[in-house]
Amino acid sequence: MSKMITLSVFRYEPGKDEKPSMQTFEVPMLKPGMKLLDALNYIKWEIDGTLSYRRSCGEGVCGSDGLNINGVNGLACITPIEGLKQPIHVRPLPSMQVIRDLVVDMDHFFDQYRQIKPWLQAESPLPEHERLQSPEDRERLDGSYECILCGCCTTSCPSWWWNGDRFLGPAALLQANRWIVDSRDEATGDRLDQVEDAFRLYRCHQIMNCMDACPKDLNPTAAIGHIKRKLVSRKS
Amino acid sequence: MNEQPVKYHRPLSPRISIYRWRAPMLASIAHRASGVALVLFVPLYLWLLHGMTSSPDHYDATLTWLHSLPGKCSLWFVGVALVYHFSNGIRFLLIDVGWGESRKMMRFSALVVLFIAALASLMFAWLLFL
Repeated sequence: MSKMITLSVFRYEPGKDEKPSMQTFEVPMLKPGMKLLDALNYIKWEIDGTLSYRRSCGEGVCGSDGLNINGVNGLACITPIEGLKQPIHVRPLPSMQVIRDLVVDMDHFFDQYRQIKPWLQAESPLPEHERLQSPEDRERLDGSYECILCGCCTTSCPSWWWNGDRFLGPAALLQANRWIVDSRDEATGDRLDQVEDAFRLYRCHQIMNCMDACPKDLNPTAAIGHIKRKLVSRKS
Repeated sequence: MNEQPVKYHRPLSPRISIYRWRAPMLASIAHRASGVALVLFVPLYLWLLHGMTSSPDHYDATLTWLHSLPGKCSLWFVGVALVYHFSNGIRFLLIDVGWGESRKMMRFSALVVLFIAALASLMFAWLLFL
């Protein structure tokens, strides 16, 4: 008999449950290097088909299965079971409206992403071919473009928990910085104007949960620091 | 036909009660807490200053209070808060200018300032109570 893993999973069925609760499951260790998503899939396919969660690529690229795992946000598909303390507490991303079980409403999160206008803005006439960028300028996008918008950072931020309606949050600000440092973008001034606000940018108090949570090893805290320095250098 | 979808209640997923405390988070919250504590103790500093400078009798009374248990505890608390706020303040300033911004350094520097505060708390306890 294979080793068993104990999980404690957040459950909530709208219209039926008054309040969310935690449900315990026992799942066999299926293979070495088994990931948390494999355990959730096992529950859904073999034990309780009503368990709801988002998943897609299963390899940390799509950003669907951001969850709170033993108190820290991460992607279920790339989090190995080994090394997790049991029972493994699996909860939805914090401070989000729960639609059902582990599925949360991401509308506001994506709306905040939309607010930073995440596309190339350039007035200058289009060159014959593409807008070119030197390898050095391209390198400056490293650490930003890898973001998959899973929401692990933003929903780990206490500042965003209390002021999420006005504070843009780490993910949106990391993306804002991604366009600010892009040598091809010509709207840097507008972008800086848009975030220069006591709430939108300056609610960041360097709690650094975002850096700690990011499953892609990015650093939104540093990106926010870079925007702040850009704002200072613009003034002087 | 034109059926309205049923609007179900959407509870807020748990946040502060379940999020695991890591060193950088602790360092940040302790920075704010120690800052608030330092401000709240301003009346005490003024009272001490007044006691130490107004008259010899006041001076003796203030000195006696400082050697009492509440006095020693206050000194210990304010001392630890000051050392912590000072060291983490420098850490925040360095990060603000872009020094030590890597993930590794952010974690490491948080541990360093927490360690300094722990060391200070032991040292003050030793100086005051032993």
